[in-house]
Amino acid sequence: MSKDLFSIPVKRRTLLEAGLAIGAMQIASPFVVKSLADEPVKIGLDNPLTGTYAAVGKNELIGCQLAIEQINAKGGILGRQAELLVEDSTSGDAGTAVEKARKLIDRDHINFLVGNVNSALALAMAGVSFEKGVLHIVPGGHTDAITGSSCHWNVFRVCNTTQMEANAISGTLIKDYGKKWYYITPDYSFGHTLQAGLEKAAAALGGIEVGGDLTPLGTTDFSSYLIKAQSTNPDVIIFLTQGDDMVNALKQAVQFGLDKKFHLAGAQQELEPLEGLPPEARIGTWVFEWYWKQPNVPHVAEFVEAVKKKSGRVPTARTWFGYVSTWTCALAANTAKSLEAVKMAKALQGFKLPPEIALMPDGAFYREGQNQLIPNLYVGNAQAQGSEPDDLFKVTNVVKGADVAGTLEDTGCKLTWPA
Amino acid sequence: MTQLILFNVFNGLIVGAFYALMALGLSLILNLSGVINFAHGGFLAIGGYIAFTLMPFIGFWGGLIVAPVLTAILGIVVERFLIRRLYGRDPLYSLLLTFGLAFIFEDGTRFIWGAQSLPFQVPGWLVTPLSTDYFFLTGYRLFMVLVVASAVIGLFVILGYTRLGIRIRAGTLDLETVSVLGVNVRVLRSMNFGLGVYLAGLAGVLAVGQLGLQPTIGSSLIMPSFVAIIVGGLGSLPGTLLGGLLIGVASGLTTVFFPSASEAVIYVMMAVVLLVRPRGLLGEEGRF
Repeated sequence: MSKDLFSIPVKRRTLLEAGLAIGAMQIASPFVVKSLADEPVKIGLDNPLTGTYAAVGKNELIGCQLAIEQINAKGGILGRQAELLVEDSTSGDAGTAVEKARKLIDRDHINFLVGNVNSALALAMAGVSFEKGVLHIVPGGHTDAITGSSCHWNVFRVCNTTQMEANAISGTLIKDYGKKWYYITPDYSFGHTLQAGLEKAAAALGGIEVGGDLTPLGTTDFSSYLIKAQSTNPDVIIFLTQGDDMVNALKQAVQFGLDKKFHLAGAQQELEPLEGLPPEARIGTWVFEWYWKQPNVPHVAEFVEAVKKKSGRVPTARTWFGYVSTWTCALAANTAKSLEAVKMAKALQGFKLPPEIALMPDGAFYREGQNQLIPNLYVGNAQAQGSEPDDLFKVTNVVKGADVAGTLEDTGCKLTWPA
Repeated sequence: MTQLILFNVFNGLIVGAFYALMALGLSLILNLSGVINFAHGGFLAIGGYIAFTLMPFIGFWGGLIVAPVLTAILGIVVERFLIRRLYGRDPLYSLLLTFGLAFIFEDGTRFIWGAQSLPFQVPGWLVTPLSTDYFFLTGYRLFMVLVVASAVIGLFVILGYTRLGIRIRAGTLDLETVSVLGVNVRVLRSMNFGLGVYLAGLAGVLAVGQLGLQPTIGSSLIMPSFVAIIVGGLGSLPGTLLGGLLIGVASGLTTVFFPSASEAVIYVMMAVVLLVRPRGLLGEEGRF
């Protein structure tokens, strides 16, 4: 019996033909059975998952993932499912970021590109997306040029420009703490434009720069800069460092007792570094770009709950950036009723985000002719401990983005649309 | 201006002492086993993370004592199962292995403790300035210098007066003869690696007292340590100590005049030393 079982004569040629047929089916089947409607709409996220910006990059990723879930639950993009493809751009290597962007566009045929946290990488990626004509959303790269001198018709930005942040806080600092400022600025495009923005905004209000230092990105020991800063006897020491550098600088400034002598402040602050600081170093006056505790703004509580459920933590501005970026893709396509980049970009001109996405008291819209989101900005003070464990910022003043965004001419952006 | 320069010299010595602590561990391992331990920064980070994790149970002081020991045990395990296999081969092999390990450690800590900075808190009385004039002398920085000084004295006592230390020094000069004389070289190398990694763990706990505790902390601190070794001279532990102090002072002084070059200056120093005196300030001639 067993002998019969094993001796069924199968010719070598039959086996070969069968193999070929199965192989052919693998290739042919998508064209036969799948229509376009089954193909997902692809959003490619090219953002840091490793290196200095890994923490903020991951928070943006969580925002993107939550948005994808919601978009699919609400019927997808033009009736098709949305899919998120994720690549690690690294934190500082523009070559890798560009290569990943090309891979996503050429090989994966994404419909939207999202990224990057790092301003320089965002600019490099914008070069690729512009060349390929793909709609590109920059969630969290702040340097002015992205929606300023280097703006493109296809590149939209969610986070603020550095000039907007500078304008939002300068008045408060001069009025409440004094005119003499000392800058501690990270030595790359973000820091340079942020300091230039503050100098411009402060000068208009009578502010004086008593000194400043450019610190290399990734500086661990800030003591020698702090020694210099205190020797100039300023009213305010302005910290423009970000991420890990911000943690190191503030931790050391407090150990030196500088917070007892001068006011410590800056333009941009985020929840991530505040959470990484010991309570005594959670000090200073700053701008937050979004804050999770807004009891009077509808939909915010639901968003916070959804993110908590997903990641176990409250959302930060970064989570919100990722969330808005991904939702912007869906809203652009559904409004334009098309996946053609030009049509979608046109549909986003002056587009106002729905309140459940904007999650701000005055809402947020993409400014026509610049592709820059104009949101609310939150000026306030860091606090050691709030009413809840993650409540580390006390908002004192909500600023309207339109009041600090300057004119379109100021930004230097001139969009040229494809013929 | 004079005051500013003077402050920065003193402050540079404090910063340099910390670099030296890390560099001494690297130097120990390099001298005896010929391993260029690129994973040293990874061990430093793990030391900090272990101290953070244990702090709720044993406090800062407990962490300062226990975390470096646990890090050293991890170091001995790594040496036993990975690095030991590459002794006797071209140093490039162990360099590549430890280079890979550095990435694994960084991503491993990110996986376990998350990518975000963690709030490591040192006792309150340590983080206050001791004097309003010499305000850079904070309690914590003075404490750091004291710990580094005791670690360095301890290390030199071990190397000078204990059986293990004498064997390590002898092995550094001529490992083959030491082996022929009946010393178990395998155990000697393991213990030496453990001692080096212990110093990394200690540096880690000290570092997170004034820096943010994040996965990249090791990679941002490792390069100055290598520079300290090269400037001070390969094969010489006093040289490494001197190298660490020198780069700390150089970096501090540059901040006074040309702040954005404060990081680059140590590499300029390294280049000059390599051109003018390739064996380093106190290095032995012809060792590498």
